[in-house]
Amino acid sequence: MSNTVEETPEQEVDLAAANKVIDKYIDMHGALMPVLQEIQEEYGYIPEPTVHLVAERLNVYSSQIFGVLTFYAQFHLEPRGKYIIRVCMGTACHVKGAGRLGDTIKERLGVGHAETTEDLKFTAEYVACIGACGMAPVIMVNDATYGSLSVQKLDEVINKYIAMD
Amino acid sequence: MVNLTIDGKQVTVKKTATIYEAAKEVGVDIPVLCYAKKLLPYGACRVCLVEVQQMKGRLIPACTTPVTEGMVVTTMSDEIRKVRKTVLEFLLVNHVIECPVCDKGGECDLQDLTYEYEVVTNRFEGEKFDLETDIVNPLIERNMNRCVLCGKCVRVCDEIVGYGSYSFINRGFETKIATAYDRDLNCEFCGQCVSMCPVGAILPRPFKYKARPWQLNEVDTVCGYCGNGCTVTLGVLDDKVETVRFNDKTGVNDGNLCIRGRFGYSYIHSDERLTKPLLRKNGQLVEVEWQEAIDAVVTGFKAAGEKLGILAGGRLTNEEYTLLKQLASATGTKSLDHSGGVCYTGVTEGVKGALGVAASTGTFPQVEECETILAIRSDFYETHPVFGMVVNQAVKRHNAELFVVSDKKGKLTKQPHASTLLTKPGLEVHILNAMAATLLEENLAVTEGVDDLDAYKASLADATPEKASELTGVPVETIRQAARSLAKADKAAILLAYGLPYSAQSLELGKAAANLAILADVAGKQGSGLYLCGEKANSQGAIDLGVMPAAGGSGAQEMLNGEMAALYIVGEDPLTSYPDRAKVENGLKKSPFVVVQDLFLTPTAQEADVVLPAASFAEKEGTFTNAERRLQRLRHGVPSPGEAKSDFTIFSQILSTLGAIVSYTGPAAVFAEIAQSGPYAGIALSDIGPQGVVWGGETLAVTKKSLQPVIGATPVEGEYLLVTGSCLYHSGTLSTKAYGPQSVVDAPYVELNAADAEKLKVVEGDTIKVSANGTELALKAKVGKVVPSGVVFAPNHFAQGGVNRLYKGETAVAVQLRK
Ligand code: SF4
Ligand code: SF4
Ligand code: SF4
Ligand code: FES
Repeated sequence: MSNTVEETPEQEVDLAAANKVIDKYIDMHGALMPVLQEIQEEYGYIPEPTVHLVAERLNVYSSQIFGVLTFYAQFHLEPRGKYIIRVCMGTACHVKGAGRLGDTIKERLGVGHAETTEDLKFTAEYVACIGACGMAPVIMVNDATYGSLSVQKLDEVINKYIAMD
Repeated sequence: MVNLTIDGKQVTVKKTATIYEAAKEVGVDIPVLCYAKKLLPYGACRVCLVEVQQMKGRLIPACTTPVTEGMVVTTMSDEIRKVRKTVLEFLLVNHVIECPVCDKGGECDLQDLTYEYEVVTNRFEGEKFDLETDIVNPLIERNMNRCVLCGKCVRVCDEIVGYGSYSFINRGFETKIATAYDRDLNCEFCGQCVSMCPVGAILPRPFKYKARPWQLNEVDTVCGYCGNGCTVTLGVLDDKVETVRFNDKTGVNDGNLCIRGRFGYSYIHSDERLTKPLLRKNGQLVEVEWQEAIDAVVTGFKAAGEKLGILAGGRLTNEEYTLLKQLASATGTKSLDHSGGVCYTGVTEGVKGALGVAASTGTFPQVEECETILAIRSDFYETHPVFGMVVNQAVKRHNAELFVVSDKKGKLTKQPHASTLLTKPGLEVHILNAMAATLLEENLAVTEGVDDLDAYKASLADATPEKASELTGVPVETIRQAARSLAKADKAAILLAYGLPYSAQSLELGKAAANLAILADVAGKQGSGLYLCGEKANSQGAIDLGVMPAAGGSGAQEMLNGEMAALYIVGEDPLTSYPDRAKVENGLKKSPFVVVQDLFLTPTAQEADVVLPAASFAEKEGTFTNAERRLQRLRHGVPSPGEAKSDFTIFSQILSTLGAIVSYTGPAAVFAEIAQSGPYAGIALSDIGPQGVVWGGETLAVTKKSLQPVIGATPVEGEYLLVTGSCLYHSGTLSTKAYGPQSVVDAPYVELNAADAEKLKVVEGDTIKVSANGTELALKAKVGKVVPSGVVFAPNHFAQGGVNRLYKGETAVAVQLRK
């Protein structure tokens, strides 16, 4: 795995929302975590310019914030799709062909693990067991679970979401 | 104090000591990897585990555990040996073993411990790190495959440098040290992380494959750049300085250096060094023998007599200044000045008038304990970076309140708790006066034993915080807070850096700073101090030894008026470094005979009639006095190239050719004479040990407290105001000949605010035209947030920059900018 996020300093991001979040916490000690969480709620991920903004306003180093962001799995450094497709790679699903589901998603949408389609509609994520082994192989799209999937069935699920906004 | 037993030895140590420190005191060595004396305890690596009788059942990290009364510590046993060995085995699982080609080999803590604990095989197995080496920047290589995650680099860059390049990122096996977004390193390049890394994960690139550490001969000497006076330990192989070694045992800098000290040594061996005297014949400078050159010099000086002007750079040794003074009197001239005289005369006069002394009243290490620090001009960190690191530590470790009166938002202004009193260029005196007025108005001032109080009070009638605020834009409350903080602090420091680019208002600033120091009871008080920090390595020595014009003589400025019959310019390139280049050009042209003594054929040397090749700091013996009055010894590290000679030798030769009697056997003999009277009286050369000798003691007693009225300047008007000064990576003009500084900043530039850049449609790297009074310069743009909107900054180090065609010594120059 490479940690190198391509340099995109010219990223156009409206910082107003991030500034508002920071305003709320500016006088609070140890506010870094809640600030980052709320920024992620606002933007769906943590855009780089907000990291530098938080660094400047809360007087922490950008490097430290980056350390926090890469330590906790909850933070996302790249924009994420409207629909997050979680493909279970737990043992049961694996045995029942989860690998092929992943391949199908890659073929249809062009995204592998932790990747997002350019139109920001889909993000694929391969996850460890999501606790629905009885209906393996399983995927989740946002909060909806789809079990006992074959490649055809997965195709239909994908078609359904493509047709949606 | 606490009593304990370590390996059967009784020890009594400070309550705050750790087991590791206590053991060290009785000569018991405990292995460490993540511990460093100058960093806060951390406890990550576990190689320092020891047994404590009172804490049975587990091993205790010696580096983080404080001592307690009656503790019984065992630092080695079979159990300890086994556990330490296991720790090492773990570290070696992922570590890529490259000792044969690793520059750390021979002084690597991991290598040494692996050897000592005989870790021949490993019971554990695992994937080796396979990370890319960061070799994008020219100075520091980072190979994280060799990292043991001790965190020292992270901590030093945070705790001491205050830059914060690094952090631990990711988790588990993926954990590593990285910069924000895991990019290539781009920072101050001070190299503190290089010196802290216990393994070969962070290395100085210019030293790659140059020498094995054990081949190097180490020479402790003093950095030749700025007035901070850091100890640099030269790593010499075959008469060549191959690197600067880490040394935290000698000197005032705790092993800390800036980019100039750490990476700025290569000019010593530059191909461009002058190696033979040059004499102008038929309009051309041609190489001649020393005798011919010296004869020409002496003939010229004799002819000029008292119309000889001598300008001495700030990097001569005390002994050399002394000889030069004798040389001046042998020729009969009264016109001898320190080349920084353009600026320092004002500051020192101002301070001397108030306090009776013309030097810093405290020492640098004291500043770490100060509760309030007032830095006048944020450039302080740029001119004296390692002293700036002491300020960082005061702020970060001891929560000092830091106030920065400045026209820029430099490094210091970004420290936690820093308040920036951001003014328009040249208006600092108004703020200092308003702070003084606050102290008096709120009855916070110490006025006992203070002279001229009434006249001073009357002069402040117009200097209220409200008026100052109106003029400068600094909120009234901030001015008052700064004053109150300074008054209430038990220990406080006022810092004022000066140097050639800061000549405007120097008398006024000296006075205003000294007034404040008196009223806030900072000068002459134990632990507190007013710090006057000269630009060059021995600026303070020049002041102490009275390198200044005698009554009736010309000073640095007047000498260049074109009225001298001869000029002798030693170790300065006024064409580049002085304000008002046209004036200097004229002065050089009009002087019939010009002698320049330097390391390089500088622009000024190119105009000379005789050029004498001089030695660098690494090639000579003698003493420097740093900006906190610390006398330190220079030691001979390498021979001079070709026929270059030390200034000491050259002065001696000129003196003897002049017919004056010189009977000194060497610098040591001159020092003995210097120490017969004056500020260095009573100091023997042999007293100047590893920590040097601070003349006047840690706290310099002031001889008077006399307030001097001083009026702030009227603001310079203009859409854009140009200010000049020092940038962190350079010092004077010399560093522009050194690879390290040049590899980071190699050309002149003009720095402007992002908002102004947008208005002018300029982006970083564009060339912009900066003009005033019909003169136009084309400079590369640097865009950022350091200078406020309406102010632009151009450093004065670069010969090709020509900033001094615009800057003529004023606080700021109104300029036009266009793309
Ligand atoms: S060189 Fe200095 S500023 Fe750069 S990362 Fe190392 S310690 Fe920090
Ligand atoms: S790079 Fe060096 S100093 Fe930094 S954590 Fe790794 S081993 Fe320690
Ligand atoms: S230039 Fe100054 S601060 Fe830097 S290492 Fe040399 S003496 Fe120290
Ligand atoms: S030196 Fe004590 S834990 Fe690293």
